[in-house]
Amino acid sequence: MPDDVSPAQAVLEALGFALFVRDETGELQLLGEAPAWLVQLWPKLKENRTLPVAEASPFLENFLIDAEETWKKGGNERAESGPWIEEGENGEAVELQAAALTAGGRSVLLLERLGESFAAKKAVLQRARETVIAHQRLNSEIQKKEILLHCVADEMSAALANVITSLRLIELEENGERTRRLLGLASRATEEQKSLIHRILDVFEDELRGVFGTASTDGVANWEATFRHALEASAPLFEEKRMRLETSDAMATNALLSLDPLHLERIIGNLLQNALERGAPGSSVVVRAKDEAEALFISFDDQGPTLSAESCEDLFACFTPAILSAPASALRLHFCRIVVENSGGEIGCQPVPQGGNRFWIRLTKSSSPA
Amino acid sequence: MIQKKVCLLGTSGVGKTSLVARFVHSAFSDKYLTTVGVKIDKKLVPLDDTNVTLVIWDLAGDDDFQRLQTSYLRGTSGYLLVADGTRRITLDQALDLQSRVVEVLGNVPFILALNKADLTEQWEIDEARIQSLVAENFSIIKTSAKEGAGVEEAFAQLARRTMQPA
Repeated sequence: MPDDVSPAQAVLEALGFALFVRDETGELQLLGEAPAWLVQLWPKLKENRTLPVAEASPFLENFLIDAEETWKKGGNERAESGPWIEEGENGEAVELQAAALTAGGRSVLLLERLGESFAAKKAVLQRARETVIAHQRLNSEIQKKEILLHCVADEMSAALANVITSLRLIELEENGERTRRLLGLASRATEEQKSLIHRILDVFEDELRGVFGTASTDGVANWEATFRHALEASAPLFEEKRMRLETSDAMATNALLSLDPLHLERIIGNLLQNALERGAPGSSVVVRAKDEAEALFISFDDQGPTLSAESCEDLFACFTPAILSAPASALRLHFCRIVVENSGGEIGCQPVPQGGNRFWIRLTKSSSPA
Repeated sequence: MIQKKVCLLGTSGVGKTSLVARFVHSAFSDKYLTTVGVKIDKKLVPLDDTNVTLVIWDLAGDDDFQRLQTSYLRGTSGYLLVADGTRRITLDQALDLQSRVVEVLGNVPFILALNKADLTEQWEIDEARIQSLVAENFSIIKTSAKEGAGVEEAFAQLARRTMQPA
């Protein structure tokens, strides 16, 4: 420590504080040597220890109006600026906070270079705001889907009611053998329609319960552990259909992902179910996981009928033509998309040149511990 | 040299910092990084017969975690009220914030920027809502910090309005 620096000043400097005292002319004079971070912001402070407020910082200039009020009152009054960011001449951002108080009868301005505690606070706010935004998006998606679902169900119900009424009226008439046979076919078709509506509603309800009902919107999932868990539930279904499930490449990483474990398990389960439904008995499904710098890329390759590039684009949307042929499967993929995208990830599908399809997800890695 | 202080106001995640980055640095990042506190930038805006330096105060989003500190608004000549067009709720929050700002600043000029105009498929604010705000004398510009659309126009219009007599 240099001889002319008091222990108190050395401590302040070590803590990232610079202390200014207002002199009789109203100028703010720095006590002690100007720390490097302050010189980086305002180089003139090295030569002249007066804080060049007006030219240096519009923020400080504004804060000094509150500071003056505080100094006038004296006593234990204290004004705090809240954090702000200044850029040094080299373009480096420095996060600062100022406080004005009266000490020993003198008007003091304390300038603090914010450090790790600020970074931690920022990280918490970042996470909290991301969660709020994700929650808003989820709510909005749910509302849209509910409206769409009920519109579709209403349309189908109305049409079905007309068909049923017509069939009953025809049945009251004297019909020949051929007409009775056709009526039987029509009745079965209406029953199938009725069942389709119920299936859509059931899957919708299941997904809502599974995706939004039990899991929190934030969280960290261990890929390997969650994948093993999802696999335990799906493996018997693959055995039953005599399909091979190759997962050794998927187990090579235990990346932590920015996703609730229950959400991730649901996504894996849905994509495995999708591959199961596409593949023929005896075919294979290969799951691979590949580490990327900030994400984990996971692919599910099936050997089912190859989709066109156009159908791949539509596949994750709700109420597309795919829903008519396989409503449960279409809704599952749609819910995968909602959850993956809300976690900041991506989802897609592409035809595999050798035959079959690759469904893939790219999930953001977490920087937080599980 | 004429300097005008303008603030960016709105709830979190609507793209205030991205609008400043696009306008001042011609840059954009897809990654959402929350603003804590205040960041000030400056940019010279040429108007018809003069130049104005906008001193742009990018304020942290006003939400349940951080409320707008009204002392930051002192001396403000105009503000860009920002909402995210893909989240309808952010428009309601912006309008609520605007009524609080009027209590502090009075009727200072402002432009309502409906940001993220590039995300047309996810857009949640319908034309009828926009027209009803226009009918209430709101100046509205759809902006995209990502593609740059409407950004220069929004700041230029704001600068012009700060120069007009009250």
